[in-house]
Amino acid sequence: MKKQWNFVFLLFCLVCLNIPNLSFAQQSQITGKVTDADSGEGIPGVSVLVKGTTRGAITDLDGNYSIAAAAEEILVFSFIGYVTAEQPVANRSVINVGLAVSVQALNEVIVVGYGTQERKEITSAVTSVKAEDFNQGTVNDPRQLLQGKVAGLNIARPGGNPNAGFNMRLRGISSIGENAEPLVVIDGVIGGSLSTVDPNDIESMDVLKDGSAAAIYGTRGSAGVILVTTKTGKTGRTVVEFNSSAAVENVARTISVMNADEYRQVPNSRDIGGDTDWMDEVTNTGLSFINNLSLGGGSASTSYRVSINSRNVNGVGINSGFDQLNARINLTQKALKDKAIFTVNVSNTSIDREFGNENSFRYAIISNPTVPVRDPNPQSPNFGGYYERDIFDWFNPVSIAEQNIADGRDSRLLASIRGEYNFTSKFRGAVFYASQRETDWRGSYSPKTAKFGGGFGRNGLATIENNVRLNDLFETTLNYDETVGKVGMAFLAGYSFQEFFNQGNYTQAGNFLTDAFTYNNIGAALDFANGLATVSSYANSNRLVAFFGRANFNIEDTYLLSVSARYEGSSRFGENNKWGLFPAISAGVNIANLIDMTGVSAMKFRASYGRTGTQPGQSYISLLRFGRSGNFFYNGQFVPSYGPVSNENPDLAWETKDEYNVGLDFVILNNKLDGTIDYYSRVTTGMILPIIVPVPPNLFNTTQLNIGELQNSGLEVMLNYKAIQKSDFRWTTGVNFSTLSTNLRSLSAGNLSFGTVNYRGNFGSPGQNLTQLIRIQENGPLGQIWGPIQEGVSDTGAPIMKVINGTAVDANGNPVYCNCNDDRTQLGTAYPTLNFGFNNTFNYKNWDLNFFFRGSIGHSLINSYRGFYENTESTTVQNWNIVNTKYFDPKITKAEYNSTHVEKADFVVLDNATLGYNFNLGPGRTIGRIRTFLSVQNPFMITGYTGVDPEVRYGDSESGNDPLAPGIERRATYFTTTITTFGLNLSF
Amino acid sequence: MKKLINIRYFLIGLGMSYFASSCVDLEEEVFSEVTADNFFKTEEEFISALGQAYSSLGGLGNHSGLWSINEIASDEIVVSHKGGDWFDGGVLLQLHQHEFQPDNPFFQNSWTFLFSGINTCNRLIYSFEVLDNPNSPAFVAELRALRALYYYWAMDAFGNVPIVTNFIDEEAPATKSRKEVYDFILAELNEIIPLLPVAKDATTYGRMTKWSALMIRMKLYQNAEVYTGTAQWALAAADASEIINSGPYSLMPSYRDNFAINNSQSTENIFVYPYDKVFARGFNWVMMTLHIVSQSTFNLTQQPWNGYQTVEEFYNSYVDPVKNPGVQGPVWTGLALAQTTGTRDGRLSNFLVGPQTRADGSTLVDPGVEPTDPTGRNGDPNGPPLTFMPYLNEISPGGLRQAGARIAKYEFERGGTDNMSNDFVVFRLSDVILSLAEARFRLGQTSEALALVNQIRARAGNLDPFTTLTDENLLAERGREMYVEMTRRQDLIRFKKYGDAWWPFAGMNRPKRVHTPGSFLELFPIPAPQLLANPKLVQNPGYN
Repeated sequence: MKKQWNFVFLLFCLVCLNIPNLSFAQQSQITGKVTDADSGEGIPGVSVLVKGTTRGAITDLDGNYSIAAAAEEILVFSFIGYVTAEQPVANRSVINVGLAVSVQALNEVIVVGYGTQERKEITSAVTSVKAEDFNQGTVNDPRQLLQGKVAGLNIARPGGNPNAGFNMRLRGISSIGENAEPLVVIDGVIGGSLSTVDPNDIESMDVLKDGSAAAIYGTRGSAGVILVTTKTGKTGRTVVEFNSSAAVENVARTISVMNADEYRQVPNSRDIGGDTDWMDEVTNTGLSFINNLSLGGGSASTSYRVSINSRNVNGVGINSGFDQLNARINLTQKALKDKAIFTVNVSNTSIDREFGNENSFRYAIISNPTVPVRDPNPQSPNFGGYYERDIFDWFNPVSIAEQNIADGRDSRLLASIRGEYNFTSKFRGAVFYASQRETDWRGSYSPKTAKFGGGFGRNGLATIENNVRLNDLFETTLNYDETVGKVGMAFLAGYSFQEFFNQGNYTQAGNFLTDAFTYNNIGAALDFANGLATVSSYANSNRLVAFFGRANFNIEDTYLLSVSARYEGSSRFGENNKWGLFPAISAGVNIANLIDMTGVSAMKFRASYGRTGTQPGQSYISLLRFGRSGNFFYNGQFVPSYGPVSNENPDLAWETKDEYNVGLDFVILNNKLDGTIDYYSRVTTGMILPIIVPVPPNLFNTTQLNIGELQNSGLEVMLNYKAIQKSDFRWTTGVNFSTLSTNLRSLSAGNLSFGTVNYRGNFGSPGQNLTQLIRIQENGPLGQIWGPIQEGVSDTGAPIMKVINGTAVDANGNPVYCNCNDDRTQLGTAYPTLNFGFNNTFNYKNWDLNFFFRGSIGHSLINSYRGFYENTESTTVQNWNIVNTKYFDPKITKAEYNSTHVEKADFVVLDNATLGYNFNLGPGRTIGRIRTFLSVQNPFMITGYTGVDPEVRYGDSESGNDPLAPGIERRATYFTTTITTFGLNLSF
Repeated sequence: MKKLINIRYFLIGLGMSYFASSCVDLEEEVFSEVTADNFFKTEEEFISALGQAYSSLGGLGNHSGLWSINEIASDEIVVSHKGGDWFDGGVLLQLHQHEFQPDNPFFQNSWTFLFSGINTCNRLIYSFEVLDNPNSPAFVAELRALRALYYYWAMDAFGNVPIVTNFIDEEAPATKSRKEVYDFILAELNEIIPLLPVAKDATTYGRMTKWSALMIRMKLYQNAEVYTGTAQWALAAADASEIINSGPYSLMPSYRDNFAINNSQSTENIFVYPYDKVFARGFNWVMMTLHIVSQSTFNLTQQPWNGYQTVEEFYNSYVDPVKNPGVQGPVWTGLALAQTTGTRDGRLSNFLVGPQTRADGSTLVDPGVEPTDPTGRNGDPNGPPLTFMPYLNEISPGGLRQAGARIAKYEFERGGTDNMSNDFVVFRLSDVILSLAEARFRLGQTSEALALVNQIRARAGNLDPFTTLTDENLLAERGREMYVEMTRRQDLIRFKKYGDAWWPFAGMNRPKRVHTPGSFLELFPIPAPQLLANPKLVQNPGYN
């Protein structure tokens, strides 16, 4: 790999020597006015550029401009929403231009797998979101830019933890066995990490939704593909941009509990004498500062963009937040008479994290409000002055957050180089190499005085963890474009080789003489001498090799056809099934070109089929492997014993998804309304699941098998309406929504089955272990929330559960609740039936206003807090606080999960409202643009849900995000937050 | 133009060279585990493979496995639903109530424990036979004995289970009747007993010997009437006598020493699984039974779970002056507010009862104790100072947190972890002595039987010898001696007491299921996931 690096630096030097020499011909001052060709009104903010140079100007409020140019030069006028116009100067001193409104919806460039197309040529379900349409405010994660913007793409992060990621699901769920997150491709780097990209540096994000669009990514396309394109320098104009913002973050939602006075009124309450608002104690106002500086520009042969992004983010939780520094260089160099084009992108990110502790929220909610934070008479044992109670599952929430340390340092490097050579005007080839290195370091320490976190019991407990992930990609592609008569043709062929390598280590040890070292001197732990420390390390790798090709045919933008295939092999597949073929075909016809319809610019019908795959989420699962299985007492001493940890499955293959999609793209009402409607139906077969197999004859009690069949279908609609288009007032409104229905047709293959009915999602301690919450059933929808129906309360305060099947009888032969699945039923569904986004943008003179609503309807959530603590059972009352929502019934004295804890979680949230002001700068200034804005995220939410956050839960946060147990709000949910951001954008 | 061509070749060449070197190789390279290709090459590696057959036994001391189902389904142990705690979907209550359900995960855990062990034995027997090493015959005999132990447990708990002896058999196995399994185990034992080692030393500690194998056979004969319909008391007596007369074992002077932290010196223990808090973890009774604040009594690194308790009637069988005659003195009974007079059986060391203190002797307070509420339903008579009382108020939902004598049979380590270092006793000489007594009693040799029982009573300490032997006092003596050694369920079935009502189960909407001897409930159901995985398995009668 060293060779490539030398090459990168060589190239960099080459570019440095090649900084454009600007020549100054005889120039004169040109003035003029840029107007809307339809209305004749002046357009402010139009970019006026002397072609091939970096000289430029911007029109003022009335559309007037002034620029110096020579007679032989050409002026380029460009503005979003209008067709770019060029005017030769030709000795004129006044040049007035009328710009035509562009049918942007048709001509915008869409990034597809291994290439780009104009929107009018697209024949599959692809949605492109450009930078100007991204979510605004404080956005630290690129996923957040898209939240609610794309019909069918659901992005959620329950709670406001700054260190937590967003979950993404495209078109519901494509697999119940393996990872269901869309594949991310960053500037061509498959599997690129989104934390290598600062949100400020993103030009567009394109979402490949259907099987035909994603099939070119083969074994990784089933969950959809998100193509991220970063900003690049533009030839001819140097742009310096500086963005700065400060944000204030406050708690938005928690769950309602009793205050000290209310609590004291409850029989059996234990009054310790204090009056503490625990939620207030464990939170503070989070302050964040974000700064971004970018330089971009270019000459005829070189263009570059360099950016540096700094983020200093503090969450509302004590000691939670991160400091992030990201730097990026994107460079393009032409050579050999512009026949060769080299592109180098390098991005480096370092993130210092403080994780805080979500459990401080959990215990803040349930802690007795009469307990003081600090113990006025600290006694033995020493809890660091914090008030602790020696009862099960009681921990001082402030102590949790303040005493335990949990830090992280993440480092990300993504470097890529692409060399392209145009053999002829029709034939070109490219070589692409990319390498991504990610390292995560974690250190945590729980001091001797911390009851929570193990420090007290272990006499100080330190943990150090390191994980490294490497991703190396090599690809070559050949493109050939040809036109024969009216038929435009484009061909692509390629080869891809990708290798991943992961390794890491973990050390946990306790029993320190002093807390002074924290995690910085783990060797001082006495646990090593006593044999009680935990030390482990691992390494694994996997490899993907693929051949792919695509052919596009276009007859005068009217009849369109695309055919593609990827033939891909993965080392993770079993010996007998190393290679799979993933074909796709899609076609479209633009009716508007065939029939003359008034006001209709485009009306394109599309239909497509595509097959994609999902490869196993882990390496080696098709192999028979042996691992350590404890120790064996042999001749007076312990020796390690080894045994099987997996069964062999040489037939292990990819999960296969076949997807049909029909769609309609239209631009009507004289370009005012554009929209897209898609309907899809997809069937996933051969899902990779661990199946219980008989032992013997098998060595290990589960085998990874391809089984089952999952069917999804849904409708997706996106509409964008330019309601008012005046020069000083514009209003654009957009709505998108998607529906989803799932059917798990089968969980079996031959004799073997995952079980026609399965249960997941243990409710937990205290007292509700082995209480299953989610049913997975053949021939049923996914995400069934399951449990008994409460139909009354007994004299002793126990919930009376409904007898459904009556399989159990009491001593007198009367039917009683069986406390088994015969008397449980579906209580709700974890997935929404409808997701939507609603956007409005207003521009009035220098002001702009945007607000964006987002919502999900039809899903339910299990409110865990209520299931455990909304009752007056005497131990609940004296040990903890009581959850006090509208459902609270003081008669209930037993915590037992049932239908009353399952709540509808429909919600609408004002995700974002932003008001901006663009300062009016006179001609001839050095600063091109000044904009200030005030943005509020999540200022209000409409929902009947009484828990912390009604966002959809796609997996169970208490069991490795298990996708089979969605719909549970667990007790350690981070409170949601409202963020108010004030920001400044400068460009010159 | 020449330069251009060179660049063109360079690009193509670069592509081709990558293509050639990386090619399309998709072999997996494994780094941190071993595959069959790179393992089992040295003697040490073979011994470590043999070890897995034994380390599988590490599941014995956990919560929710074979030990749990056997004990909770008996009249020794209950895990009451305490306030909000230990309901856990009702599976623990169902076990104690004899409402056995095939989807109870405890059954699945037990089955997996047993058949993984059997399969490991089969795999290693196959390997050693193929290897044809000089040590192979000895290893194979030892593994067959261990496999017989797993089968004996499987046949005792589930009855009708598949028999698999051939590792390379690819077919999923079919259910065999309990009688067939019994015959199979017997045939195996008859073949291998002469081949097994007889020494009791470091080389056989924690390993199968002739004596362990004889003991399995003795157990088969002892329960033969239950297993097959035909009693085999004479054969049981013969095996028991051989262990007592020819085996290298003798009763320890102190009962308790057999369960000490360092109990490897016991002369009485015949087969143990050697646990260790560092090397062989998983013996969690200290967590399962002790109260949360008992952490401060023993300075434990972890907070215990306050789960497993002794059934009050069972505890009372030690202190009852009539049923267990002996030296009278102060003992804890009932509500434990004060000691009353009762029999001070030396084996009361099996329990932790009465007021508890911190390690330094100071008062230990349970801040989570139930206050005395006006209805009296939840009131804890002892108040906040932690006091383990033999009294159990109810099984669900309002079981008191301090109720029930705790399982202190194995010595708790001060400053210990959640993993105990005591070796788990599977077979012990006093079981053999009492079994011989039972066989003699059934064969009408009452005076010999009485002498044997009194030998155990004499060792226990503070007890008067029995003057007569009855079904009842023999079973009670077995209970006192063998408490939580996983024999009680089997004993109750054999003595036809398993279906009796034990205690009133206050607070439940259903009492314990009462059933007659021979009821289908004497077998546990085949776990539901196993039936799904292997269509050739047949559910036990009564569970469909």
